[in-house]
Amino acid sequence: MAWQNPNGLVQAMHSIRQAAPLRPFLQRSVLSASPILSASSTTTTTTTTRLFKQPNSKRSYATEVDSVDFVAAPPVDLNKLPARLVPVSPSYFSGSPKFVDHLLNLESILAKHAHLPIVESNQAPRMAWFKLAQFRDFVGEPVPTKKYKGLLKILQRLNRIDRKLMPHEVKSTIEKFLRPGNPYDLKPAPAQVDEMGRGRGRGKRKSSSAVAFLVEGDGEVRVNGKTLVEAFPRVHDRESATWALQCTSRLDKYNVWAQVQGGGTTGQAEAITLAVARALLVHEPALKPVLRKAGVITVDARRVERKKPGHVKARKMPTWVKR
Amino acid sequence: MVSSFCWSCLTRLPTASPRAMLPPTLTPQRVAAFHTSSTLLASPLKKKSTGNVAAPRYRQANSARMKKKGKAVERARPPPAGERRALRKRIVLSNPNALEVEDMQDISAENMVDSRLHGAVLGLPVPMLDQLRAVQAFKPKQGWSIFRRPGTVMRRESLELGRLIDSISNNPEDKGKVVKRVLTGAKGTGKTVHLLQAMAMAFTKEWVVITVPECQDLVLANTSYAPLSDKTPNVYVQNEATAALLNRTVTANQKVLSTLKVSREHPALKSLVARDMTLQDLANIGIQDPAAAWAVFQALWTELAATSAAPGFEAGFSPRPPMLVAVDGIGHWMKETKYRSAKFEPVHAHDLVFVQHFLSLLKPGNNQQSALPNGGILLYATSGSNSPSVYSLDVALKQVAARRQGVTPSSSNFPQPAAYSKIDQRVFAALDAPASSIPTEGALELQTMAGVSRDEARGFMEYFARSGLLRQHVTEEWVNEKWTLAGGGVIGELEMLGRRLTVPAQVE
Repeated sequence: MAWQNPNGLVQAMHSIRQAAPLRPFLQRSVLSASPILSASSTTTTTTTTRLFKQPNSKRSYATEVDSVDFVAAPPVDLNKLPARLVPVSPSYFSGSPKFVDHLLNLESILAKHAHLPIVESNQAPRMAWFKLAQFRDFVGEPVPTKKYKGLLKILQRLNRIDRKLMPHEVKSTIEKFLRPGNPYDLKPAPAQVDEMGRGRGRGKRKSSSAVAFLVEGDGEVRVNGKTLVEAFPRVHDRESATWALQCTSRLDKYNVWAQVQGGGTTGQAEAITLAVARALLVHEPALKPVLRKAGVITVDARRVERKKPGHVKARKMPTWVKR
Repeated sequence: MVSSFCWSCLTRLPTASPRAMLPPTLTPQRVAAFHTSSTLLASPLKKKSTGNVAAPRYRQANSARMKKKGKAVERARPPPAGERRALRKRIVLSNPNALEVEDMQDISAENMVDSRLHGAVLGLPVPMLDQLRAVQAFKPKQGWSIFRRPGTVMRRESLELGRLIDSISNNPEDKGKVVKRVLTGAKGTGKTVHLLQAMAMAFTKEWVVITVPECQDLVLANTSYAPLSDKTPNVYVQNEATAALLNRTVTANQKVLSTLKVSREHPALKSLVARDMTLQDLANIGIQDPAAAWAVFQALWTELAATSAAPGFEAGFSPRPPMLVAVDGIGHWMKETKYRSAKFEPVHAHDLVFVQHFLSLLKPGNNQQSALPNGGILLYATSGSNSPSVYSLDVALKQVAARRQGVTPSSSNFPQPAAYSKIDQRVFAALDAPASSIPTEGALELQTMAGVSRDEARGFMEYFARSGLLRQHVTEEWVNEKWTLAGGGVIGELEMLGRRLTVPAQVE
C-alpha cells in the first residue's frame, strides 16, 4: 500500500507530473469531481511549454505555471477498442486523487499569483479552515495529517495576498476550504462603559474569580469592601492586584471596586489583576498592546490537577512497603 | 487447676448456653459449694489486645517508621532570664549610618501650630527623648531605628492637636478646657504615634503627662494584685503597677513636679507627707513603698487636680498645669482579666481600681469640677494589632460617635448591639458619657485615624529619601502609587514601602 509509505504519495505525484505530456493521448472518462478538469478547457496545447521551472520561483519542486489542461480521451468507440480505459484525473492512481487534484490546483494558483504583494500574517483576515476530519469528509478520502498541513500552508500563503489585489480566482478557491458559517465572524460586541461611568471586567486565576469595576477617580481601591491593605497584607499581592494600572501609569486616575471570591490570597490578587485589566480595556481599548506586554491579558488557565485513584495526590505514589 | 467445667450440672457446656450471654457480674455468684473457683464470666465486650499497632489512619504514612537517630543538637545554654525580653523590648532611636536631614525642625511651642509645616517631618527634640522614653512613648517596631533621629509627620490631626494644646495652655478663654477622645482606626494608621506627638507637645508646654503605655500589662496577671480593702473585697489594687506608673510620671515630669508643693492634708498617708513636700517627693514615697503606691497616686492626683490650696497651705501654692492622660490599647480593659477572685472567678477589668480610675475620667466630672479641673486632654487609643475582639466595645464606640453627632439614644438611628449577641453592659456603662454640665468640659468624642493625604505622604517619603534610605526620585506619580499600595496612605504601610529596597519595574 502506497499510503503506508510516506513517500508513496510523493512518488505518485511525481509520476503524474512526469506523465503529463502523455495526457492528450489518453482517453477521457465521463464522471469527474476533479477541480482540474472542471476548470480546464478541452483545447489541447503543446506539452512542451507546460513543464518548465520558473527562474524566479523559490519553490524547490516543479511547478506548473498554468493549470494543466488535461484532455480526456475521445469517446470510446467500442468498435475500435483502445488499448485501455483512462481515468478522468491523472492522479487517479495516487490513491487519493481528489486531494492531490486540490493540492495541485492550489500550487498552480499560488505559482501564478506569487508576485502579488502580501501582508503580514497577523494582518491577514483570520480564516476558519476545515479541520482535518471535516476535510476528510469533504474529499471523502483518508488524508494524512502531514499532507493536510502542507495544503493549509498553501492556503495561508494565498490568504496573505493583499485583499484589494486578490484575484477572484484565488478568493473563490480559498472559500471552498472554509468551514460553513465563519466562526471568527461571531465576535462579541466590545464592552462599553455603563451609564454610571463604570467599566466592568471579570478575571479568574486558580480557584478565584473576581469582578472589578473601574471608574475615573484618584486611586482608591476597595476589595470586598475592605481597603487594599486589609484585603492583602502582603505587599506583593497588592502590587499584583494593581499591576494593570501601575504599568500603564493609571493608578491615580481610576478607582477600583472589586469583588473576589474563592481560592487563596495569591489567586484572589491575580484574579483581580485580570479583572482590572479587562475593565481598563473597556475605558481605553488602545492600551491593549501595553497590557499584553505587561502580561495581564493572557489568561493563566491552570487549575489544580485532580487527584487520581491509586495515587496519594495528583502525581504522588504511595511509598513502597515490603509487606 | 480445677476445671471450670462442672460435670454434674453442665453449666458450662459450650453448646449455646444462655448463661454465657448474661452480662458479667462483678461479685462472685452463689453456686454449688464444691466449686472452688469463682464463676465470673469473662467480659464479652473485652477486646482482644493485639500485639501489633493499630492500622494507619487516613493519610497517615503506612510505611515502617524508623527511629531517627538523634541529631547531635548543640544545646547552648539559654540566655539569662530577662535578656530575650530586653532584646525584644529594646528601643533604638538612632542610626548613625542614616543621613542627617538638614533643616529639619524640631517640635517646639512655635511650630506646632504652624500650618505651613503641614506634611513636613518634625524631629523630636533630643533633650526630650529621655522624657518620652520614661513615659514609654516609643514602641519597639515603629521603625525609629532606621533614621538618624526620631521624627514625626505633621499631619492634619497633629496640627489640630497642636492648636488645641496651644490654646489650652495660652488662651485665657480655653483655660481649664478638657478634651476627651478615644482614638480608633485601622492597623498602622498612626494612633500610637499620635499619642507620642501629643506627649511631645505637652512636654514642650510643660504639662503633666501621665501615660499607660500598654493596657494589656494590667490585665495579664503579670503584676501582683490584692483586694483594695476589707470593705470592698471585689475591687482590686495593683501596687506594683501603680508604683511603676508613679515612677514613669516622676521621671518624665520631674521639672514640673519638683516645683509644685503639697497643698492639703492627706489623711490616708498620715505622717508620711510633710507640709513643705514637693509633689515629686510625694510620688517618691509610693515608688519606694509599693504598698502605699495607690494611696500616694490618689494623693498625687488630688494635688494635680487642685485648683486652690486648703486653708493653711496657701503659702507655697502655685497653680497646677494642665494634664495629658494618654492610654494605649484600651481594648484590653473592656473584658475579663486573667486575674481570679477568691471564688476563682475571672475578675473583670473594671474591677481593678487602677482601670476604674482612668475610665472614670471619661465620665463628666462631679461636684462642679470637671474630670481634669486644670484642663487637659484625655487620649485613649485602641490598638489595631494587639486588640482583643470585644463586640461591646465596637458598638459602644459607634454609640459615642452617634452621640457626638447629636443622635439621641432613644432614636432609631442610634447604633444598638445585634439581638441575641453577648454584650457586656459594663463596657456600655463606661463609655456612656453624656455631655457635661460644666462648660469647660467637652463630651467624649471618637477620633478615627485614617490614611494620610497625598501631600503628607509625599513629605514622609521625602524624609526617607533625604535620610538616604530611598534611592529614587520622589515624584508625584511615585508617591501616588505608593499611596494606593499603602491602602490609601496608611502611614505604617507607607513606612514599610519606603524602607523596602526596590528595583523599579521595567515595562518596554
